[in-house]
Amino acid sequence: MDKRQARFFAIGATAVSALVFGALTLDSHRQFDRLTNAQNLTPQVVAGKDVWHKYNCINCHTLFGEGAYYAPDLTKITQHRGEAYLTAYMRDPSQFYDEQRHRRLMPRQNLSEQEIKDLIVFLDWVSKVDNQGWPPRPILVTGATIPGTDMSAAQRSQTEPPEQALPPGARPVAPAQDNPIALGQALFRSVQPACNACHSVAPGVNMAGPTLAGLATRAAQTVADPGYKGGARDVEGYIRESIVQPSAHLVPGAMYSANGQSFMPTTYGSLQPQQIDQLVAYLATLK
Amino acid sequence: MRYRSQAVAYWYFAVAMLLFGLQLVFGLLSAAKYLGPDPLLYVLPFDVTKMIHTNLLVVWVLTGFMGATYWMVPDESRTELYSVRLAYIQLALWVVMGVTAVIGYLFRFGTGNKLLEQPLPHKLVIVVVMLMFLWNILMTIRKSGRFTATEGVLLLGLASAAVLYLPSLLDFDNYTVSIFYRWWTIHLWVEGVWEMIQGGFLAYLLIRLSGADREVMEKWLYVIVGLVFIAGILGTAHHYYWVGVPYYWLPIGGLFSALEPVALVGMAMYAYGALRRSGMSHPNTLALHWTLGSAVFTLFGAGLLGLAHTWPSVNKWTHGTLITAMHGHAAFYGAYAMVVMAMISYALPSFTPGRREQGSAMGYWAFWLQLAGMFGMTLSFATAGIAQVYLERIMGLGYLDSQLKIQVHFLMLIATASLFTVGVALFIWDFFRFAPRLRVIAEDEATSASAAAARVGAQRRPA
Repeated sequence: MDKRQARFFAIGATAVSALVFGALTLDSHRQFDRLTNAQNLTPQVVAGKDVWHKYNCINCHTLFGEGAYYAPDLTKITQHRGEAYLTAYMRDPSQFYDEQRHRRLMPRQNLSEQEIKDLIVFLDWVSKVDNQGWPPRPILVTGATIPGTDMSAAQRSQTEPPEQALPPGARPVAPAQDNPIALGQALFRSVQPACNACHSVAPGVNMAGPTLAGLATRAAQTVADPGYKGGARDVEGYIRESIVQPSAHLVPGAMYSANGQSFMPTTYGSLQPQQIDQLVAYLATLK
Repeated sequence: MRYRSQAVAYWYFAVAMLLFGLQLVFGLLSAAKYLGPDPLLYVLPFDVTKMIHTNLLVVWVLTGFMGATYWMVPDESRTELYSVRLAYIQLALWVVMGVTAVIGYLFRFGTGNKLLEQPLPHKLVIVVVMLMFLWNILMTIRKSGRFTATEGVLLLGLASAAVLYLPSLLDFDNYTVSIFYRWWTIHLWVEGVWEMIQGGFLAYLLIRLSGADREVMEKWLYVIVGLVFIAGILGTAHHYYWVGVPYYWLPIGGLFSALEPVALVGMAMYAYGALRRSGMSHPNTLALHWTLGSAVFTLFGAGLLGLAHTWPSVNKWTHGTLITAMHGHAAFYGAYAMVVMAMISYALPSFTPGRREQGSAMGYWAFWLQLAGMFGMTLSFATAGIAQVYLERIMGLGYLDSQLKIQVHFLMLIATASLFTVGVALFIWDFFRFAPRLRVIAEDEATSASAAAARVGAQRRPA
C-alpha cells in the first residue's frame, strides 16, 4: 500500500461510515415520534424541559443515565414517587434528607409552584419514553430493594442509640420538620414490625407481602371495582383500612392470605392516630 | 524558533496553562463534595463546580490545539503566519469568551445542557473565533504553497471540529432528539475529529523527534484516520443506548465501539515503531516522553477503558455510574491533555533559551507524577464505579446508601488527585519559570545546536 492508496482508504472509509450514519439518522427520525410518544409533548412538557435546563439539574443528576453522577438517576422517578411527594420534595429537600447523615443534600432550588408542576410533567413524559427497558432494575434513591441489605445485622445491633441503628434512609430527619409524607416514609421503616420488612416499594419485588409500588394507582382501581367489599371510599381510606384491618380486602395469592385472613399483623391499629395519618400520606404517593 | 510569528504559540500555551490550573481547582472542589457534607452548598454547589471543571477542560485543550497549530504550520509550510495580529485578536476574543462564561457559570448563567452549557452569545463567539483561526491558517498555507499531508489531516480535523459545533446551536422540544444531536458535537469531537487532530500532532512530533521517514509516517497517518472514522462515526451509537432511539443502535454501538481500540492500538504501534526504527535521536527526550505517553495512555484510557463498558449487555448495568467518570478522565487526559503537553514540551526550549533542550528534572517529575496521579484517579473511579454498579444497580441498594458505602474510594480519589495536581503544578511552574525570549534562531545556529545535541545523545546511549 502506498501513500495514495492509504489516503483513498481514509477518505473512502470516512465517506462510507458517514453515509451509513446519515441513513440511520434519517430512519431514527422516522421512529422518534413513536418511541417518545411525541403526541404527549405538550407545551407544559416543553416548559418542564426548560425548567430542567434552567436549574442545571443535569450537572448533578442523570436522566436516561446521562448527566453527572453526584445524585440519583431520575428517568423513572415519577413511577416511584407521586406528584404530592415530588412537589413537597422540590419545595424543600432538607425536609426529606439530612446532610449530616447522607453526607450529601440537594440545595433548595426555590422553584415556583408552576415550575414544579411543569418539571414533574416533563419527568413523567421522560419516564414513558421507550428506552429498551432501561434501567433493568429500579434505581432507588434510598433504602433497599431487599430490606436489610443496606446495613449488616452487627452494625445494626452495635450502633447506639436505637434510632441510629436504622439505615440512613430510614432515620427520622431534622426534629423541626413537619412534613407528613417525609415522616410517613421514616415510619415505614421504623414502626414495629417495620412495614419494609415485608413490603418493597420497588416495582415487581414481592416478598412476604406484595410490592407497594404503584399502590395509589391500584388502590383507586380497587375502590372503584364493584367486587370490592371493604368500607373505603377513596385511596386514602383504602390505605388506612389496609393498615388497620388488613383482612378487609385481600390481595389475591396463597402466600398473602388463607381462609379470608390476611397474614399481615393486625397490630398497626395501636399506632398513634397521627402516625397512621403520616403513613397514609406517604403510601398514597406511591404511584 | 525558525519563524518570528511562531511566538504567537507561546501566548496560547500560557493561557492554556493557566486554565489547566484553574480546571484542577474546580476538579478538587468537586471531588471534596463527594465526601461531604458541603459547607459551600449554597455558595458553590456541585453542579456549578462540575460544570466549570468540564468546560475549562474543553477550553484549555482547544487553546492548546490552536497554539500548537500556530507553532506547527509555519514549520511545516516553511513560512511566517499570514497574520500575527489576527492571531492575537483571536486569542483575546477567546479569553474574554472563556472568562465571561466561567463568571456566568458561577451564577448559573448557562444552558443546562451537559458540556454545551455555553450561552448563545458565547457559542457565537466560539464560531467566530474558529473561523478567524481557520482563515489565518488557510491563508498561511496558501501563501507558502507548501502543504503537507500532516498539515492536511490536522486542518481537516480542526475544520470538522468547527462544523460539528454547529448542531449545538440547535434547540429541540423533544429531549431525546436533543440528546441525539448533542452527541454529534461531543462524541464526534472527542472520538472523531479530535483524534484526527491528535494524530496530526503525533505525526509531526514523531517526524521531528525521531527523524522517521515522512512518506512512511504520513501513509500510516492516513490509515489511522481511516480506522478512527470507521469506528468513531458509527461508534456514536454507544451514546444512543437507553435514551429513546431505535433498537438497532445497540448492536451497532457494541460492534463499532469494539473496533475503536483498533485505531488506538495502531496509533501506539505507530509511535513505538517510529522510535525503534529511527536513525536520529533528537535531544528533547522530555517531549518524546509526552508523545509516546500520549499514544500509550490513549490506548489505555480511551481504548481499553472505553471498551470496558460499551458492550450493550454490560452498559445496561454500568450506564450513568462512576464507571463513565473512570473512562472519561483517563481518555481525555491521555489523548488530549498529554498531546498538548507534548507539543508544549517540544516547542518550549525554542521560546525560552535558558532551558536545557533535554527537558529539566522538574519536567520529568511533572510527567511521572501526573501519570501516577491520573492512573490512581482512574483506579479510584473504577473501584468506586464497580462497587456502585453491584450495590446500586444489581443488588438494588438505594443510591444514597450505596454512595455512603464507597466513601473510601473517594478518599483515594482525593489523594491521587492531589498527586496529579502536584505534577500539573510542576509543569506549569516549569513553563513559566524561564522568561520568554521570542527571537528567531538563525538556520545554521539551530542546525549546529541540534547536531551537537544529537552527538551528546549518541554518546549517552550505550554502544
